[in-house]
Amino acid sequence: MRALAPLCKRLVCLLALCWLAACAQPFEPDERLSFDAPTRANVTGVPLIQQEDFFCGPASIAMVMQWAGSEITQQDVAALAFNPGAGGTYLADMIGSSRRLGQLAVQINDFDQLLAEVTAGHPVIVFQNLGLGVFPVWHYGVVTGYDLAKDEVYLNSGQLDQMVMAFAVFERTWRRGDYWGLVVLPPDQLPASVSEADILSAAAALERVGQHQAAATLYETGAAKWPDNWLWQFGLGNARYAMGDLRGARRALRRARALDPSIPEVRANLAFVNSELAG
Amino acid sequence: MGFLNLSKKGIAIALSAQMVLATQAVTMAQAEMLGTDQAISKYTALANRNVLMDEIKRDDVQAEIVALGVDPAEAEARLAALSDAEIATMLMQMENDSAGADILGTLFTVFVILLVTDLLCFTRFFNFTRCVR
Repeated sequence: MRALAPLCKRLVCLLALCWLAACAQPFEPDERLSFDAPTRANVTGVPLIQQEDFFCGPASIAMVMQWAGSEITQQDVAALAFNPGAGGTYLADMIGSSRRLGQLAVQINDFDQLLAEVTAGHPVIVFQNLGLGVFPVWHYGVVTGYDLAKDEVYLNSGQLDQMVMAFAVFERTWRRGDYWGLVVLPPDQLPASVSEADILSAAAALERVGQHQAAATLYETGAAKWPDNWLWQFGLGNARYAMGDLRGARRALRRARALDPSIPEVRANLAFVNSELAG
Repeated sequence: MGFLNLSKKGIAIALSAQMVLATQAVTMAQAEMLGTDQAISKYTALANRNVLMDEIKRDDVQAEIVALGVDPAEAEARLAALSDAEIATMLMQMENDSAGADILGTLFTVFVILLVTDLLCFTRFFNFTRCVR
């Protein structure tokens, strides 16, 4: 399983970078991007956190959450995400810990999405192999900006100074991580490049981990953007019910029923809430 | 004859039992709220299928399908035969092959026509399509 970052120490990273830079092909934006991305974009206010040994994953999440206003530390995240036995943080635990911390976490998988998110002002966590296939050096960093004209990608990469990578080098390291990227946002903001269905699933995942308030907020945020889809109101109803807000749940489920009267799940849950309110 | 009587009686009992159960099922309160997760997977799969079905029913797409010598009703039947998972896989492949561009447009039409021709064994664009001959 390559979903692990057993090494994210600084020296090895830099050595690997020098090696990679020597054999990199140039990055052609016109070939790699299918939308007209702005020449440059930067997300301001992402703190640079010096990662502790092997904590590149937790440090990345902490940077993104602090950017959004949280005071969480890399140790807090590590308690939920880090796998001491493996000496790293699994991809699934990156997503899972973000959700357990009440964040909207959705995966992205290509340059279009990466640049669209950065352009929209969202930092993106990326999974890179800074080494080679035979000698992998797994690492998580946070992309905070890029400049196509200067051929530069900017990362907060677990060090106290910003990391600048040529697009070609970044492309190689990211490709070796299967173009895995993670957008982590507070639930009152929506990613720019992710489908409605994926955001709905991320919201339902918040319910699953018991983050009902965050789920409710995300359902409301989604409902504002996609007002015609009853699923947002249905989820909102369920999340409110889980928090004991029966009247709020009823209001949301009634809105869901108004959007589509034919859905048995909506009617069943509405009847259930009504019976609890009556009883 | 006795056997026939017995089975009639059996049927009557079974039917009345079923009726009682059916009425109960309607009036009986469910034990818990139905989850958001299941609703999402059920209804977004449905939406995916509807998006493709709507596309196939568009006039210009129908004209294209007819021009290929295909009965549009057969094209719809073939699409209906795909599983939710197959439709999801295919939409994902469409998105990947269009390099992440918004596929709802001309490109999408091309993909849908390719899907129809795939299903009819003229082409083999999608990895999973079962060619029915």
